Amino acid sequence: MNKIMYLEFERCIGCRACQAACRECGDHDAKERNYVEYVDFTESRQTFPMLCMQCKDPACARVCPANAIQITDEGVVLSAMEEKCIGCRNCTFGCPFGIPKFDFEKNKMYKCDMCYDRTRHDIAPMCASVCPSDAIRFIDFDEMQQLRRKRTQMNLVEGKKPQEGNKWDYVPEFFGVYTDQS
Amino acid sequence: MYKFEKSFYSKTSMYSFVVVLLLFFSMWYSTSKFVHIDMALLGYAISSTVFAIGLTIRMSFWMWRKATNRVAKRSVDNLFNKERLKRNSKAVVKTLIDNIILQKFIFQRGIYRGIQHFMISWGCIISFAITFGLTFGWMRFDLIDPETYQIIVFDFPTITMAAHGIFAEIVYNGLNIGAIMVLIGAGMALYRRITDYDVKVTQRFEFDILPLIILLAVTVTGLILTIQYTFLGGWMHHYMSLIHQVTVIIMLMYFPFGKLFHVPIRPLATAVPMSYQEVVKVDTKSCKSCGQPYSNDDQIADVQAILKSQNFDLQLADGSYLSDYCTGCRRRMRALKQMNLEAPQGNPYGPVNTNNGIHISGFSKKRSEEFYGLDQDSKEEKIDEPVSR
Ligand code: HEM
Ligand code: SF4
Ligand code: SF4
Repeated sequence: MNKIMYLEFERCIGCRACQAACRECGDHDAKERNYVEYVDFTESRQTFPMLCMQCKDPACARVCPANAIQITDEGVVLSAMEEKCIGCRNCTFGCPFGIPKFDFEKNKMYKCDMCYDRTRHDIAPMCASVCPSDAIRFIDFDEMQQLRRKRTQMNLVEGKKPQEGNKWDYVPEFFGVYTDQS
Repeated sequence: MYKFEKSFYSKTSMYSFVVVLLLFFSMWYSTSKFVHIDMALLGYAISSTVFAIGLTIRMSFWMWRKATNRVAKRSVDNLFNKERLKRNSKAVVKTLIDNIILQKFIFQRGIYRGIQHFMISWGCIISFAITFGLTFGWMRFDLIDPETYQIIVFDFPTITMAAHGIFAEIVYNGLNIGAIMVLIGAGMALYRRITDYDVKVTQRFEFDILPLIILLAVTVTGLILTIQYTFLGGWMHHYMSLIHQVTVIIMLMYFPFGKLFHVPIRPLATAVPMSYQEVVKVDTKSCKSCGQPYSNDDQIADVQAILKSQNFDLQLADGSYLSDYCTGCRRRMRALKQMNLEAPQGNPYGPVNTNNGIHISGFSKKRSEEFYGLDQDSKEEKIDEPVSR
């Protein structure tokens, strides 16, 4: 399995379908775990979707005093284990991207798990499967590479040339790379 | 102390040694030099000792994790801080009751789950208290006259009770009561784990189902023992007691290594309101960008120290750390960086120009000059130049 979550923030139209879909996912307890936010409300209505990066070496798990955040074989960083999470919220503040959410009543952290029961079987996560503008996509590694190349070319046509130091500014990010290459 | 430590293979083996020594002496003392030792429970005593060693090792490694260590240290410091004594003791006692004893938060997750866990945990705690008490001889019953028993705790005579009173019946049947509670709770949990699709998402057999099966095996064999000697006149009692002993030993061996290890972890939860939430749900540290309060100074200091000690480089160009910003601002910063939308001049995290000039909406729009970061004088020169674009 070698599928990739591919985000293009600019494509987001702010419909929040991904959040509605997230609430419906198994084990999500009718609460969304992703974000759709304004870049700068005073400037424009541009929104962007935000999900967990599924880090290889997750800061959230490293700052958890209860050791409650586990990483699956596929590389998905799961929500806190229900019996271990002591509710300190260190993960929320440790995560560089501000992803983990916290439920004060149930005293536990919950975060994007890439719809583990779906992606485990190569099915697109809820958010990617409903996004009408393809801001969130669940695609093959090759397709992702192609998209990135096209995007760089587009930038060249636009007249801005990426330099060695800033070429990453010109490609959208990808994440959740499944390590299994087979 | 350093020398003493050096004479062991590792720190954990030193701690284990001390724990075993303490257990041995408590046993020696409370059985008045092994006079009152219950030899029938020797197998349990040995496996309980191995259980204690396993628990010590796991607890030591857990405590050495950078995050755990830091949080635990702050909690201990706060606990013994004289100025905060009053508020702290109140916070600790309140969380202890709400979170550990009544487990209110699990009831919030659902009545079913609340009852299920309340049964498992209190059934287990009652049974463990009685079993360990009796095997290590911390507690024993002495017949002081034909009608009265006395409970002896740590070789110290305490209350007396009539041999056939109601209180005595409750005490004798403590293990049975505990076992029935665990039977109900673990049965409910197993039923939920088999039928509920939501829990199946991340459920693993060896981690989630196995502990329930082990707990059920222990309680069922234990209850069969009771049935055998009360109703069946001790029929097959000997074999069953052997089987029961084996299940208990399996559980004790499993305890420190699987799901049940959450039991020694949970008490750290009592320290959270004390150290991190001075006033519940009220934050005191404000975000460096938007100024909204989002956390507590101590907590952010801890998070930064933990990350630093594990070589996470989350410092920004201006010297601040990502954790100095609230979660919303952090998400925005990531998106801005990714879309190349950061304010090109001045504070990169300040207000932005969303037209980045790279991806222009529609055709024939000019890129904003500002984006290229051209300084003022070069712009001024251009004014007079003939423009050919
Ligand atoms: C007294 C302090 C304890 C606390 C605060 C605690 C906390 C928790 C929590 C929060 C869960 C997750 C429950 C859920 O979300 O549905 C859990 C599960 C569990 N606990 Fe405890 N626990 C404690 C003691 C114990 C004890 C003494 C045992 C037995 C040895 C035990 C056995 C279990 C088991 C078997 C589960 C899994 C239930 C399942 O399959 O869903 N716990 N515990
Ligand atoms: S929550 Fe944050 S730190 Fe943890 S895996 Fe996701 S992006 Fe990484
Ligand atoms: S809130 Fe839970 S998962 Fe997050 S750091 Fe604290 S204990 Fe770990």
